[in-house]
Amino acid sequence: MIRWLPLGDSALTLVFGDAIDPLVHGRILAVARRFREQPPRGVSEVVPAYTTLGVWFNPLERNAADLASELVEIAEEADGRADGQTDSREFVIPVHYDGPDLDEVASRLGITRDEVIRRHTATTYRVYLLGFVPGFAFLGLLDPSLELPRRSSPRLKVPAGSVAIAGRQTAVYPLDTPGGWHLLGRTDLTFFDPRRNPPALLGVGDAVRFEAIS
Amino acid sequence: MIEIVKAPPFATVQDLGRTRLRAQGVPFSGAMDLEATVFANLLAGNAEGAAVIEWALGEGRIRLTDTRTFSVFGATVEWNYSLLTPGMTLVAEAGEEITLHVPERRFAYIAFGGGIDVPELLGSRSTYLPGGFGGHEGRRLKNGDRLPLGPPVTRFNTGWADAMAEFLPRTDGPVRLVPGPQVDLFDPGEFDRLFAGKLAVGRGSDRMGYRLEGQEFSHNAPAALPSEPVCVGAVQVPQGGAPIVLMPDGPTVGGYPKIASIITTDLGRFAQLQPAARPDFELVTFEEAIAALRDREARFREGARVVRNP
Repeated sequence: MIRWLPLGDSALTLVFGDAIDPLVHGRILAVARRFREQPPRGVSEVVPAYTTLGVWFNPLERNAADLASELVEIAEEADGRADGQTDSREFVIPVHYDGPDLDEVASRLGITRDEVIRRHTATTYRVYLLGFVPGFAFLGLLDPSLELPRRSSPRLKVPAGSVAIAGRQTAVYPLDTPGGWHLLGRTDLTFFDPRRNPPALLGVGDAVRFEAIS
Repeated sequence: MIEIVKAPPFATVQDLGRTRLRAQGVPFSGAMDLEATVFANLLAGNAEGAAVIEWALGEGRIRLTDTRTFSVFGATVEWNYSLLTPGMTLVAEAGEEITLHVPERRFAYIAFGGGIDVPELLGSRSTYLPGGFGGHEGRRLKNGDRLPLGPPVTRFNTGWADAMAEFLPRTDGPVRLVPGPQVDLFDPGEFDRLFAGKLAVGRGSDRMGYRLEGQEFSHNAPAALPSEPVCVGAVQVPQGGAPIVLMPDGPTVGGYPKIASIITTDLGRFAQLQPAARPDFELVTFEEAIAALRDREARFREGARVVRNP
């Protein structure tokens, strides 16, 4: 059962579930692809997230409620035909595990640095959404044994390329920005380049693994 | 070409923003007051989305290297030994200097015939400061910067301003809100408090977001909602209870409950509020929000018609 919520006067949110779940996310991606390939009238942009799909539209062309019922109908139909096919790519990210928070993370979790690295590199993550800043990919789900709340005082500047964890998520900071996640290491890959097409290295639905390099 | 003789504070190149890249996490960016940008462009003889210079808080000086139309919105200017009011179509000669005054409200705009011709990046010429890209070298303008202009406008009419006066944006009036996607997580009494006139724009407000101070709002949301898409103008309520309104450079996703959204038409009017100003929030229906947007589109069209048929 897909619900919808108004997001301002020019967008709406389709809600596919309440909890983060790869199956729910797979359904969202299938529907997002259907809307991109055959955009319903008035729709300009779709934005997949964990449990929701944002849809931007021209409200002078479409009434939100009418559009929403059309979208829900198409989505439920696309859902029924979801064949597991995705455009998902696989990435291996080389990481220097020498981050400023690695020792603290290890001691708070009561494990060694090497064990933190082993557990962080053992999971193949899924890109659930991009946001916060351009190209920032929210990767999940992190091994529950590595789960820590965000730092109590965020850093004013986290360097681009920093590999970080918070909650059940991990990510690479694509730009120098403020940030409250725990920094485990760094990578030399460029995660966002406005002159590249597409500008973000990772896309929603891609599979990502980290690999320790010295 | 224009030369920035004295850069005004917070001066950036902006246009009507970026769309279609939200799924890559690219914010809307673009001018804080789109309506002022559109009319500055129309009065300079440009298409409505040409790139302009946005500034705040202080004065600046710009020199032209060739003859150009220009128009200023939101500040008086000094040029050719005259003090000129905003909203006029003017023509400056090569070598002349224009002195930009402190904006009357928060942001002011100057458009030049031909538009600021910096390279388009990700579908826009606007500057996105947090990412250091777009506009002129991804940064604020500084003294000595030289910016190219597009081909000059050949047809212009200094009488445009009078003909367009009735279509210009209203700077006063309420900031209209529609209910947000998570309004049900707030008790109805909490929602009503948005309209009690007690909220003020906070000092920690910038192109990414405006804080609202004076009241805190409680909700029944779990500690962390899975992040979902957000729109410019969304009024989100973080754990502390003090609302933040997302502005054009703000993030494209967020996990805080959104109690309301500012309607598209009133985003510029809200952006123009100074710290400590109290927005006059008014609840409207979605139908009223669309009617306001339709009215604005009609005013843009009429403005453009004046320019094309002087």
